Amino acid sequence: MANLKDIRKRIGTIESIKQVTRAMKLVAAAKLRRAQINMEQARPYAGRIHGVLNHLLPDIDRTSHNLLTMRPAQQKAFVILTSDRGLCGSFNTNILRQAENIINAAGKENSKLICIGRKGYEYFGKRGYDVVEHYADFWNELNFSHATTMARAVTSRYLAGEFDDVRVIFNEFKNVAQQEIVEYHYLPLVLEDDAESVSTDYLFEPSKDEVVKSLVPRHLNIQMWRFLLESNAAEQAARMTSMEAATNNAGDLIDSLRLEYNKARQAAITTEILEVVSGAEALVE
Amino acid sequence: MAAQFHLEIITPTKVYDEGEVDYLRAPGVDGAFGVLAGHTESIMALAIGEIKVVKGSVEKSYASTKGFAEITRNGVQLLVESAEPQGDIDLNRAQEAFDRAKAHLNQKQDEMEDELRALRALERSMNRLKVAEKK
Repeated sequence: MANLKDIRKRIGTIESIKQVTRAMKLVAAAKLRRAQINMEQARPYAGRIHGVLNHLLPDIDRTSHNLLTMRPAQQKAFVILTSDRGLCGSFNTNILRQAENIINAAGKENSKLICIGRKGYEYFGKRGYDVVEHYADFWNELNFSHATTMARAVTSRYLAGEFDDVRVIFNEFKNVAQQEIVEYHYLPLVLEDDAESVSTDYLFEPSKDEVVKSLVPRHLNIQMWRFLLESNAAEQAARMTSMEAATNNAGDLIDSLRLEYNKARQAAITTEILEVVSGAEALVE
Repeated sequence: MAAQFHLEIITPTKVYDEGEVDYLRAPGVDGAFGVLAGHTESIMALAIGEIKVVKGSVEKSYASTKGFAEITRNGVQLLVESAEPQGDIDLNRAQEAFDRAKAHLNQKQDEMEDELRALRALERSMNRLKVAEKK
């Protein structure tokens, strides 16, 4: 029979764990709300840029723009978005496993990695992958300039010929309970045809080529921003759900420990009564 | 009363809906241009500069960075990476950025990339200061 003091101590420990996980859940929920507002605000800008580019690209000679030219993909680069911190369920594990599969399929030797978020850097750095760039410790004060810095770093390496093809692997925020791992073709730029096409005949100032030249970097920046926001929202959602589960589990554990405690207490009382009664009976005789 | 048109300034983090305005002056890459109602439908690349909006007797200025203007029959949308209304510009920050970029340019940098970045930062901060200090 477990002793009463030990059980009481365990209950106390689990109570405090439960308080921590509940607090983390609330913090994650607040951060998730902020992330969702950011996503909401980025949408009109991203949508318009996409729409105009979509309208322009068919008329543009791809070979005249470095960021649009298709080259044989010998060296590949992978941008992998993870979080800095753990305690968010399988958020990082899933994406790391999937990213590793994708990279190995493409050939580890021909792949360069850009890790955004500490977890990815630690994982791939330890396993001998060629991590050319990594970013950490920015998720809390995430703003648009982070996206432009990262986009610029990737583009300038791409233009220098370090790699010929860039894929971004990130967690897309579906809803609070669901994230989906997405692989996105970042460079050279290809657009899916799903965007609303603009049919107006525009006048281009100074010229179509010039407009495209200034649009493409804008598009890359806003895409990077979108990846960061999606991943951030997905991370907070994952943390929220897993901390919620942890809080519930702690509650269940406390319930069962309390049952055990009461049983032990009653057993102790019963034994005591038994002793008193048998002692009294011994005196009668 | 002259004809008006709808103006929106859209950035990745915020949308400024200006409503119906009379006149817009925007910094095109080949120099500033003005837009009145009934402008030809066009798409224009924008440089770092000042966006000026005239609504009745009210004038408003924004410090903006690169982007483009989409002019349609329904109105004008300015898509820029950042736009700050004159009153919201953080003067200290702009001054700091200005000093930093200048210091950076002064110490001979051999890397082209760095120099370009510093130049661009200089341009952005100068623009902010200019717009903020205008009456």
